Amino acid sequence: MKRFFLAAALAALPLAASAKDTGLVFVSNEKSHDVWVYDNEFNVVKKIETSRRPRDMKMNAAQTLLYVACGDDDVIDVIDIETLGVVDQIPTGPSPEVFAFSPDESVIYVSNEEDSMLEVIDMESRIAIHDVPTGAEPEGVIGTPDGTTVYVTSEVADMVHVVDAGQGVVTDNIIVGTRPRRFVLTPDTNELWVSAELSSEIYVIDRDTNEIKDVLEFLPPGFRPEDVTPVGMAITADGSRGIISLGRANHIAVIDAHTKEVIDYVLVGSRAWSVALTRDESVAVVSNGLSDDITLVDMNTLRPIRSVPAGRVPHTVVIDD
Amino acid sequence: MKQLIALVALVAFTLPALAEDLTLGYIALESDPRYDENFAYARIALRPQGDSFDGVKLAVEDMKILTDAKGLTVSLDEMRVRPETVASAGERLVAEGIGYVIADLPAESIAVLADAVGGAATILNTTAPEDSLRRACYRGLLHTAASDRMISDALIQHLVRQEWTKVLLLHGKAERDTARAESFAEAAKRMRVDIVDTRVFDLSTNPALREENNIMLLTGGIRDYDVIVIADEYGEYSRYVPFQTALPRPVVGATGLVPAEWHWALERYGAPQVNSRFEAETGRRMGWQDWSTWVAARAVLTAFAKARAPGTEGDFLRSERLKLDGSKGVPMTFRPWNGQLRMPILLATHNAIVDIAPIEGFMHQLNTLDTLGQDEAEFACD
Repeated sequence: MKRFFLAAALAALPLAASAKDTGLVFVSNEKSHDVWVYDNEFNVVKKIETSRRPRDMKMNAAQTLLYVACGDDDVIDVIDIETLGVVDQIPTGPSPEVFAFSPDESVIYVSNEEDSMLEVIDMESRIAIHDVPTGAEPEGVIGTPDGTTVYVTSEVADMVHVVDAGQGVVTDNIIVGTRPRRFVLTPDTNELWVSAELSSEIYVIDRDTNEIKDVLEFLPPGFRPEDVTPVGMAITADGSRGIISLGRANHIAVIDAHTKEVIDYVLVGSRAWSVALTRDESVAVVSNGLSDDITLVDMNTLRPIRSVPAGRVPHTVVIDD
Repeated sequence: MKQLIALVALVAFTLPALAEDLTLGYIALESDPRYDENFAYARIALRPQGDSFDGVKLAVEDMKILTDAKGLTVSLDEMRVRPETVASAGERLVAEGIGYVIADLPAESIAVLADAVGGAATILNTTAPEDSLRRACYRGLLHTAASDRMISDALIQHLVRQEWTKVLLLHGKAERDTARAESFAEAAKRMRVDIVDTRVFDLSTNPALREENNIMLLTGGIRDYDVIVIADEYGEYSRYVPFQTALPRPVVGATGLVPAEWHWALERYGAPQVNSRFEAETGRRMGWQDWSTWVAARAVLTAFAKARAPGTEGDFLRSERLKLDGSKGVPMTFRPWNGQLRMPILLATHNAIVDIAPIEGFMHQLNTLDTLGQDEAEFACD
């Protein structure tokens, strides 16, 4: 019965259609300095050596190239999704951690953890055209779909900087909880969510006013508030459900993104971190930083399907489907 | 007149970014024997090198963007005193209205300062680990230095986890060594670790004291033990103990595996970034004393940035809401019963973090950080 269920869940994963939408799953591993590539049945098909300490990854809109920020070599490696090899590198400032593209992919916004800058890199010339000073240890970066605003967190100063993308200046600062890490934008309610790892909270910010609308807290059964260290988040395309990784509490929380009510907690691996959804949103893939694996979660039954080994300290998951 | 003040206060309350000044005091001894660089004749670094004021400066720099956003102007008042002028320095800072003082002083000077200030300012003890200072319960005194008992509990947790529960305890004759050995014995009793013998060492080569200064004799004549724990503040004796013991057993405590608030080898929780910012500013590695002054200044500045209303910063600082990030992976708060900062303790060799206490499996009914140090139920003010 269990087997059948598992097979059914895996069959629900979309199959490769063309070179685009390969169905491949990419996981960056901070300490083994590589990106592991899985097929849509989660067999490892390739381990791509990258520059040192690969962390955040983003695909271009055409889904032909995967960009990987490599913190210890101060570059963003570019992986060709067809050949599964590093084909290019974009130099950055010291210790790039998280990045975002502008909607037209003409510039990259990257947080430089070591020198407290949001660096703006022109994609064509590969030159840093602008630096926006941030609080110490900037991490999460996200741009709005209209390209006007970029948000960046400072882990040490406990704030979200609101950056005017056109002028490259900080226009507002929002003080949030302790050690703010990552962002998601809701597709339908004009909200920005920020995970505050050490105060165990998600801050919900109204993007029109930059005011904090709501502060969400999570507590899976059997855990203490201080075990809950949320980092990664994902939201379904229709904006109905949110998925929050709870770090040392070894669970993800699946919530109603509108009412903010917790629907369920799902057990995953040790220090659950980044979360990604398959395009059909049937499976969530969670990277577990302290158990060196990824956990596949069935989004219909809200149960873990299985865990699959990854490299050392898996950081980010990107799915090409 | 009174009404006018009330009105002004009300207006100030509603302004989002209130222009405010905060003077943060820092007090240290002009020549603190604990930092004597020339202690070891061979210039071996047995003492922390450098000045813990660097930690305060880094914290102000780290928090600047946040304090700027709050309209808070932070300035530093640096005081270098002698033991006999600590009291007058305390009176001066009260007279000048300095509300928060970061103190890098030995325990006896902390006591003098706390007496002189009498609760009129918050003093943050950054480097004195004495349990007696916690039990003295001075008004307004907080501690970002881990207590002796926290250090001992961290070591005990590791020993219990390793099942190294038969201990030979060695300590020097200095007051600090006795205090640390006593705290270890207390911690051992709570966790039922067996101290098979406690022996005092002597740094001399006096043949009449050979039972105390000869390492083979000091560690011999006992059928067995799992581990040697040594309390040695100066570090001059303990550095020779490993590899010279009567039985082939690990040596921990003051050498080998050392519990401390901070170590440069911590690779997680944003610690490498803190270390590299500190190194970039100072050209040296961040010691636990620097971390302690850094986190003390961070605590005060966090309270000023996050307290909801002016005048409530002190309450915020002491509340559960503080959730201070010291780059050790957990939110930290001060214990209401003795003003001690709850924190993880690193168990470090010379170049690696072997473990971080509280170690998994050591449970507490409220907060696992309270498995380190005197818990509320066993604590009483002297």
